[in-house]
Amino acid sequence: MSVRLRGTDSTIRIQWIPKYTSLERLLHWVHTFTFVPLALTGFVLFAPWLQPVAQSEAGIHIRTLHRVFAVFFGGVPIVYTILQPRRMIMNLREFLSFSRYDVLWLKGAIPYYVLGRHEDMPPQPRFNTGERLTALVMVLGTITFGITGLSMWFLKGIMSPVLFQLMVFFHDLMFIVTFAMFLVHFYLAVVHPMMWQSLVSMRYGVVSESYAREHHAMWYYGEQRAQEMWEQRHAEGAH
Amino acid sequence: MADRYAMYIDASKCMACRGCQIACKQWNDNAGFIPGVRETKNVGTYENPLSLDPETWTRIRFTEYESASRGLQWLFLKEGCMHCGEAVCVDVCPTGALKYGPKGIITYERELCNGCGYCSQFCPFGIPQLDVASPLTGEAKSSKCFFCQDRTTNGLIPACVKTCPAKALDWGDRDAMVAKANQRVGVLKTQLGFPEANVYGETQLGGLGRIYVLTAPAEAYGLPKDPKYPAISTLWQKVLQPVGQVAFGATVVGAIAAFLIARRNVVMEEVE
Repeated sequence: MSVRLRGTDSTIRIQWIPKYTSLERLLHWVHTFTFVPLALTGFVLFAPWLQPVAQSEAGIHIRTLHRVFAVFFGGVPIVYTILQPRRMIMNLREFLSFSRYDVLWLKGAIPYYVLGRHEDMPPQPRFNTGERLTALVMVLGTITFGITGLSMWFLKGIMSPVLFQLMVFFHDLMFIVTFAMFLVHFYLAVVHPMMWQSLVSMRYGVVSESYAREHHAMWYYGEQRAQEMWEQRHAEGAH
Repeated sequence: MADRYAMYIDASKCMACRGCQIACKQWNDNAGFIPGVRETKNVGTYENPLSLDPETWTRIRFTEYESASRGLQWLFLKEGCMHCGEAVCVDVCPTGALKYGPKGIITYERELCNGCGYCSQFCPFGIPQLDVASPLTGEAKSSKCFFCQDRTTNGLIPACVKTCPAKALDWGDRDAMVAKANQRVGVLKTQLGFPEANVYGETQLGGLGRIYVLTAPAEAYGLPKDPKYPAISTLWQKVLQPVGQVAFGATVVGAIAAFLIARRNVVMEEVE
């Protein structure tokens, strides 16, 4: 794609690289716009200071809404598995692949995201360490919410009370983990000034070539070449 | 504990007439028979209904029990909310429908209940009953005995106590009821040939609001010998919920601080 600079004859050529399929983007947004209402409606029963909202008819409707959103939330991985099983397996494999570069990424993340220091960020595949951790927490969360939520919904009075109590506990525990992770994800993907292309990629499914080179070198150059470049850069930096 | 009411229940005097069940339904306007919804069915036992339900807040449980001293006996236990001194149902209720009311009564405001059912699942005695209007939407209301609060806070005794023809029930200051129970157990043991007689409810869960005189071990009546406040509830409400709220707050504050610092340090011209 070429963009003409306003008031000049100069043009910039931007090459876009596909990152997500249209189904993945659609399901991502369905996931987002069901997760947030689920968190908010669940929070009503979670936080004692929201007691007035949890009472009476309001509370009954909130509990019903929680179930409605839960159906769509739970439907996302099912639809993805049915329609794009190979993509799903490919992504899961990528989420579960960790290397020594992930430790380096975690070390360099705060200086990078807070202070804007690019130098220490190691090469990353299509999903960086943070994205993979977020995805894994969400996968684990969705499974946990599915088991605990369905149990509380349909097996109340059928399963043993102790088991029900455990379901409530783990539902809330996973809510804390996933919602805290969501807040970080939202900040980095939507608010953080350096990450503007992540939102673009989830809207249009593509990232620019320069963004891929900078943030996902292992994906752009290939794993071996990106590692060689990183080692070479470090060797030069050491001298 | 001072300044608490309690119900005295003498199982040795109960003859299972179930007048208490009827009086409870009558006073609290609870249905006894709803055609097509809640119908009385003969299932081959005198026990009826077979469990507490949203319209039955007290009932007599029948248990056959054989002891060395007295042979085969029929044990009668008046079931209902225990009005615990440490009531987990109050703690887990997210709406405030269940509260510590006056004089140790665990009160219940039906209008506030949203039907989550936590009370029914956390109660160590399994007492609160959920009236489920729709399993799909989760629309429901909980219900349980609230010691005829409308009567007892106006100087009257609970309807079940008033109606009991065997004088197996009594109502009053908890200390007095405990003393009466201990005295009765002494009589049962020494004069009436019930060596296993015991008092139940004096110390359990901060002291129950029902003080039972039993003629056999509590377990024989289907009561837990040593009911415990669920540890998961403590972990959930005293640890997990505060930690969660702090975690959310810290994450938001951290993100705002990080953004303010990043805005000063990130050179946008270098951003790809």
